[in-house]
Amino acid sequence: MFKLSPEGVEFVKSEVARYESKESAIIPALYRVQKENDNWVPNEAISELSQIMDIPEARINEVFHFYTMFNKEPVGKYHVQVCTNVACAMAGTREILKDLCDEHGVKVGEVTSDGRYCFQNVECLGSCGTAPMLQINQDKYNENLDIEKTKQLLKDLP
Amino acid sequence: MPKCTLNGKEIEVAEGTTIIEAYKKLEEDIAHYCWHPGLSVAGVCRLCMVKVEGNPRLQIACNTVVQDGMVISNQDDEVKEAVRWGLDFHLINHPLDCPVCDQAGECGLQDQYMKFGKYDPEMAERKVKKSKVVDLGKRVVLDSERCILCSRCVRFTEEVSKTNELGIFNRGDHSEIGTYSGKPLDNNYSLNTVDICPVGALTSRDFRFKQRVWFLNKKQSVCTGCSTGCNIDVYFNKEGVWRFKPAFNAEVNGHWMCDKGRDYYANLNPYETHVEGERKDKKVKRIPVRLLNGMKGSEMINSQDLAIEVGQRLKELGGEKVALVITGQQTSEELEAVTEFFAKDLNSKNVFYWVNNKENFDEFDGILKRGDENPNTKGALKTLEKFGLNQTWSQLTDGIEKGHIEMVLVLGPENQQVYPDFKTRVEELSKAKTLVWTTACLNESLDKSNVWQIPANTFVEKEGTFINHAGLEQKISFITDLVHNAFDGVELARLMRGDDLPEEERFKNSPYKRVNNEFTSIRGDL
Amino acid sequence: MPESKLLTEHYHKDEYRGLQGYKANGGYQVIEKAFKMDPQKIIEEVLNSGLRGRGGAGFPTGRKWSFLPDNGEPRYLLCNADEGEPCTFKDRMMMERAPHQLIEGMVISAFAIKSHKSYIYVRGEYTESVEILREAIKEAYDAGYLGKNILGSGFDHDMDVYAGAGAYICGEETGMISSLEGKKGQPKLKPPFPAVKGYLGKPTIVNNVETLAAVVPIIKDGADAYKKFGTEKSTGTKLFSVSGDVQKPGNYEVPLGMPLRELIELAGGMKPSRTLKAVIPGGTSAPVLNKEEAEKATMDYECLAEMGSMLGSGAVTIIDDTRCMVDMLHVITHFYHHESCGQCTPCREGTGWLNKIVNSIVEGRGRLQDIDTLCKVADHMKGKTICALSDAAALPVLSFVPKFRSEFEFYIREGRSKVKGTRYAEMHA
Repeated sequence: MFKLSPEGVEFVKSEVARYESKESAIIPALYRVQKENDNWVPNEAISELSQIMDIPEARINEVFHFYTMFNKEPVGKYHVQVCTNVACAMAGTREILKDLCDEHGVKVGEVTSDGRYCFQNVECLGSCGTAPMLQINQDKYNENLDIEKTKQLLKDLP
Repeated sequence: MPKCTLNGKEIEVAEGTTIIEAYKKLEEDIAHYCWHPGLSVAGVCRLCMVKVEGNPRLQIACNTVVQDGMVISNQDDEVKEAVRWGLDFHLINHPLDCPVCDQAGECGLQDQYMKFGKYDPEMAERKVKKSKVVDLGKRVVLDSERCILCSRCVRFTEEVSKTNELGIFNRGDHSEIGTYSGKPLDNNYSLNTVDICPVGALTSRDFRFKQRVWFLNKKQSVCTGCSTGCNIDVYFNKEGVWRFKPAFNAEVNGHWMCDKGRDYYANLNPYETHVEGERKDKKVKRIPVRLLNGMKGSEMINSQDLAIEVGQRLKELGGEKVALVITGQQTSEELEAVTEFFAKDLNSKNVFYWVNNKENFDEFDGILKRGDENPNTKGALKTLEKFGLNQTWSQLTDGIEKGHIEMVLVLGPENQQVYPDFKTRVEELSKAKTLVWTTACLNESLDKSNVWQIPANTFVEKEGTFINHAGLEQKISFITDLVHNAFDGVELARLMRGDDLPEEERFKNSPYKRVNNEFTSIRGDL
Repeated sequence: MPESKLLTEHYHKDEYRGLQGYKANGGYQVIEKAFKMDPQKIIEEVLNSGLRGRGGAGFPTGRKWSFLPDNGEPRYLLCNADEGEPCTFKDRMMMERAPHQLIEGMVISAFAIKSHKSYIYVRGEYTESVEILREAIKEAYDAGYLGKNILGSGFDHDMDVYAGAGAYICGEETGMISSLEGKKGQPKLKPPFPAVKGYLGKPTIVNNVETLAAVVPIIKDGADAYKKFGTEKSTGTKLFSVSGDVQKPGNYEVPLGMPLRELIELAGGMKPSRTLKAVIPGGTSAPVLNKEEAEKATMDYECLAEMGSMLGSGAVTIIDDTRCMVDMLHVITHFYHHESCGQCTPCREGTGWLNKIVNSIVEGRGRLQDIDTLCKVADHMKGKTICALSDAAALPVLSFVPKFRSEFEFYIREGRSKVKGTRYAEMHA
């Protein structure tokens, strides 16, 4: 069962004190949980946060389920988020996403059997001038891609 | 005080009144789901659209404050069209399972669609699938597909009960209300969420599937669960009473009542409807719980004859040899009638006040529920004061112990559950030669050879006054007759005096012809 | 017409990111000028400049500022950097290339409206922008441009960065306020407006990144100098994010009123042997322009409004003749369905309904009456909700369908795209 590290607990407490309202610390706290738990937030973390922050579980759970960047399930080592909004779709990201899924034998949103990848379509990430683009986990954008470059990019990951 | 014109009618309202409140005041029709007078404004159902002259955009009535000189209408074609489509948006993902929905008959979607609907659905796509039969807590069941996400229940747990169990999770048309796992909807006000749910999304686990609401009648009364005296609607039919819901009273309970108060309805019915087994295979047992006729020890006797006999015996003994015990559970009229019989007719000072849990009397949960679980403590005290009576309990027990007091009449508490000392008192008082106990419900401890039992009416079977914790006098009226052979205190006093009961008057308010306890629930056993 | 780089002049220099580089190129000089001015004078200058909100709604910035009640309550300045309107990527560039320009603009604005606390609300996906801004704010504190008694002016101001977590709706100013308050990013009922009751119920001004940055040149050279750029009603310069079927997509800062044709030329023109078919001139929420309209359009608030579209966030998506408009609309309806916050019924249910109808058409299950249903549903979603997302979802439908009706009819009749010749749905997972 997941538990925040002592430093994580300290971080959450400091965020609670940082803003004018303690609820503002919910998003930073959920990010912290995600960082400490392989890029996803397990359900039990909500009740831990509720205790640390003294905020009802339902309020935290509402925030958790509202924002797409909090992963509700495991997303593999590399959460490959491919933008399929207008500019990227025009530049062929839907084909790239389909290609990646076919190559690894998974559906969109599924984790590959080795736990390495999860390919996900996402909405516009603001990189339309440099489409096609994708973001891996919450790292820097990968822009101006095509199918070959994308495959190489994934191969080069540690 | 701003004045405005609503659908052509002039109205003057208090500063800060919203348009929807003005509509309600005028009793003009206006569609709405999310707005509730007891909750904050959410403004999300977008149905209470009105046209305000001079404003090109339609406004929602719930979030628009009346300004002086406003000309407002919801009879405009533009408004009607917006409401028709607004309703259709509510319905496109709704399962339309009215035939199996417990809310049917009192459903906001049904009612408002009949009035404002489009009658020409154009949705031909697949509906969104959501969770069904979710246990939100021990009393409330959720069907997410029926939910229209008006957020009333969520606002209730945030603003009124302040327990925060509910939330709306996810977004867009995948939004669902729910609880966080491990934190169920469990507070003493949870059933209010069922009342305010405009559709069949939240239903009461206790009430669901027991009755179709169109087979129920409702009449207003006062909850007897505690000294707050919440105003309630009693839902009943020939088979008995099926539920209580709060009735609005700004002075007493606003729009709400507690779950504990609601539970009490089951004690009113002559038979317990006990449900056994899982949903699929449930069996209903009917066990009598009310006292249906007079009992003289173990001998069954006509209750009226018994009351007359009690009166004669009391008169024979008279004065010091008899005693009366009252509680805060009877109406002021009953207390006065019986006390007067003792004080005046019998010339006895032996009237004793039985108090349950005095140490909890001042408790208050900050919402409605009070520690004094009697509806009429103030009434009892007032009666004693009126007749100048102030005997202590030890005078009664001593009197019995020493044999000075031979016969005791107890106006037994209607709600025995809030009298944890019930058995002790029965033991104590049954040391007298004869103990007469008026009681609505059966209780094993009363099955003694020297205890005579007279069936008593419950609060739905009588009329009278309760005085609540704040000294407010509230009238209750006759609702239905459940145990025909039972009496209330006023009738008992008449009988004990030797007077006849005015039969016609007694049943003049009954919605049914006087029949001999002919409940349809019994017909089911035939 | 070339670019007019009022804001982006030094963006090509890497050093401009840091405090030293920013100062070396004339940065943090306007702040000193501003502190010598009467705050009310700054507001008047911004009002006179005609600057309109660059986030999408185009509300006059000076007017917004003047709505603040004078009731002694603390005021907040929030910078809306939740750039989510599809095809918009200008704010990201501004934050990554010139974070100090934004900070300078914000401190001047905060001084004008007497606010002592500001937040920059950045969309969560912009992790790089967040890092750069945090670093820049630290530098600014160290150099005395933030904190107590800034540059001896007696004015105190604190600034913080807050990262969102993935929700388009947080770009709506009250949605952003809800999110910053730690709730779901759902827009709030208006009235009250944020200037009266905003963040935590206190008077709050929310401005876009580009708007706040534009305060710097306005105060530097005065409103009149700023008004020399642009048209009478659309003053100044604007960053346009040009994407889609052009040879050199990217951000271009040009004076408002530039003909759309010229903007396309600036962005490298159409790809070889392709012709223009349509343009979405202000982010996907803006109604699409067909070829004829696009050729006549000038990039200013009034011309686009006259054409029934809008300048929006300045995201210009160029669509050429190889594109299937049914497929394009499908991407757009999917987006709004995904992003509806779910509180108002017409939007919550309507966005899903629209997407399902278009999806049925794309998958070959369409019926001819679906075309009318699409328009009716969209029409009844307009102007009925708390915020403009419902309208934003309806407007593309109400422009794509009538303007390219034959493509929709063909797709429904033949079960395949008129342009592509095949069914496109297989591409979607």
